[in-house]
Amino acid sequence: MMRQHRLRRRRAILAFLGVLVLGLLAPGISETVAQKRKAPPPVAKEAPGSRQQDIKREQQPGAKESVEADVSARNIAVTANFNGTEIVVFGAVDGSQQPSAESGYYDLIIVVEGMPGRMVVRRKGNVAGLWLNTSSVIFDNVPSYYAVASNRPIDEIVPEDLRALHGIGLQHIKFTPAVGQSHPLSNEDIKQYRDAVVRLKRASRLYVENQFGAGFTGKSLFRASVVLPANVTVGPFVTHVYLFREEKHLYKVSVRHTLGREGLEWYLHAFAYRLPVLYGFTTVAIAVGAGLLASTAFRKGGTA
Amino acid sequence: MNFYLPVAEMSANILVFLAMGGAVGFLSGMFGVGGGFLMTPLLIFAGIPAAVAVGTEAAQILAASVSGALAQWRRRNVDVKMGTVLLAGGLVGSVFGVQLVGALRRQGVFDFFLSACYVTFLGVIGLMMLIESTNTIRQVRAGRVVTARRSGQHNWVHGLPFKVRFHRSKLYISAIPPLLLGLFVGLLAAIMGVGGGFIMVPAMIYLLRMPTNVVVGTSLFQIVFLTAATTVLQASLNQNVDVVLAVILMAGGVVGAQFGAVAGQRLKGEELRFLLATFILFVCARFAWQLIAPPAELYSIGGMGAI
Repeated sequence: MMRQHRLRRRRAILAFLGVLVLGLLAPGISETVAQKRKAPPPVAKEAPGSRQQDIKREQQPGAKESVEADVSARNIAVTANFNGTEIVVFGAVDGSQQPSAESGYYDLIIVVEGMPGRMVVRRKGNVAGLWLNTSSVIFDNVPSYYAVASNRPIDEIVPEDLRALHGIGLQHIKFTPAVGQSHPLSNEDIKQYRDAVVRLKRASRLYVENQFGAGFTGKSLFRASVVLPANVTVGPFVTHVYLFREEKHLYKVSVRHTLGREGLEWYLHAFAYRLPVLYGFTTVAIAVGAGLLASTAFRKGGTA
Repeated sequence: MNFYLPVAEMSANILVFLAMGGAVGFLSGMFGVGGGFLMTPLLIFAGIPAAVAVGTEAAQILAASVSGALAQWRRRNVDVKMGTVLLAGGLVGSVFGVQLVGALRRQGVFDFFLSACYVTFLGVIGLMMLIESTNTIRQVRAGRVVTARRSGQHNWVHGLPFKVRFHRSKLYISAIPPLLLGLFVGLLAAIMGVGGGFIMVPAMIYLLRMPTNVVVGTSLFQIVFLTAATTVLQASLNQNVDVVLAVILMAGGVVGAQFGAVAGQRLKGEELRFLLATFILFVCARFAWQLIAPPAELYSIGGMGAI
């Protein structure tokens, strides 16, 4: 009687493990089915051999210098123990005319931007004594992350109009209200909502301004380090390096890099978004298994 | 020790959430409740997005209820017929609830709606329990013998059509009230991330007048299937179930519940109900404060998922 009971329980546990393995294997098997789903696809792993295409260089007319730059890691993996990371942007000025690193001959601005996306900003209002979201604005092309590092305050390096043109600085990040808002917006409204985005993003360390975060380490060598916090969104990134001399823009280098889920992290996220029904059933199986396991363990402990 | 939660998309300290699961598990073991109404708010206060907290909680309640339901089943304390009727209503309610969560999220009022639901239901139930348990404690102190309420008395429920005989509950009543009750609780389970036992159990006793010995078993039976369905629905329609978070909470909850059950045996029923009522009112007050206090920041931003 007792043995039969134990046998049945063992069979149940085996069946549970079977369901689990099936569930975990499935996302790999039916990748093609998954492609049809509208859910945001996890970032694909980068194809090798595209190193040069990721860098774009623009020399301004009349500039003698040119700049080479890169980031310390083109592909950063977000794994289960991801807790933020630091990227180093480095490079050199070809034909540098400055006598030393400290001379302050050139000015340097480095901008790191995350993937632009659509964002809803909501404002709470008081309705009959209760606070709830009453109005909202949708913005397009809001970068998920934005960091600007420079060798001195950016408003001393570049005049306002140039900053606005290039989208340099937290006040000039290029994002715009989406077309087709639910209600007409005044410029004053838009400004308030815009400021709120920057304020909230700054508070969660996703928008960062470091006025002395970049600098020369030699006649031509420069570097800057930028911190990506744990709550950063995965996706493509682009880093722009601007070289200035007396408010004049000389050179710009843009480097593309990515932050992508990998390993278990990639796996679970893909499972949840690509095969949501199976993911749901697997979660149920895990929950039931955990409950049964606990009940078995408890009964043993109770009778012993 | 951190783990990056794949669906909540945030780095979480495993130990914090283990402890949270343990603490709520302790209380749920002690009071014999699922603990969803404590866990979901705690998760939200800990920074988990409200929708993810609600979806993940369904899975966690399922794990917490399975062993209890099984134990009640072995003791033949489950009225399967009544449970099935409740479940039928519950599933319909859950489908509506899950869709409502999605719609409210898109409108940006889900958080408000959730708070309002918590304030209303926790407030009413907490107050009722508080009054009832204080009266009982006072009567016991005065030396009077307290008898349980007589079941079998008739009320408006017994005048409705479509009567069905529920053998184990020794009832011959219309199927409409249990169906509606199931529907209502299913709706709440999906919106509030609770099992609904705290509404189901009093309703079964006072409204349907079921015998107390089958109430808990039948409620657990119903909760197991309802939360299983809700988990699948939330995962497939709203993608707001975080399996890693669920596993961490389950692990903590299971251990906590064992200790809680032992602690609960040392207290009297009315004392337990008084304590539970205090807890419920505390959570209620926390939500109420959030609704009426002027917020420090008027604006909030939602990611792509919030559209």
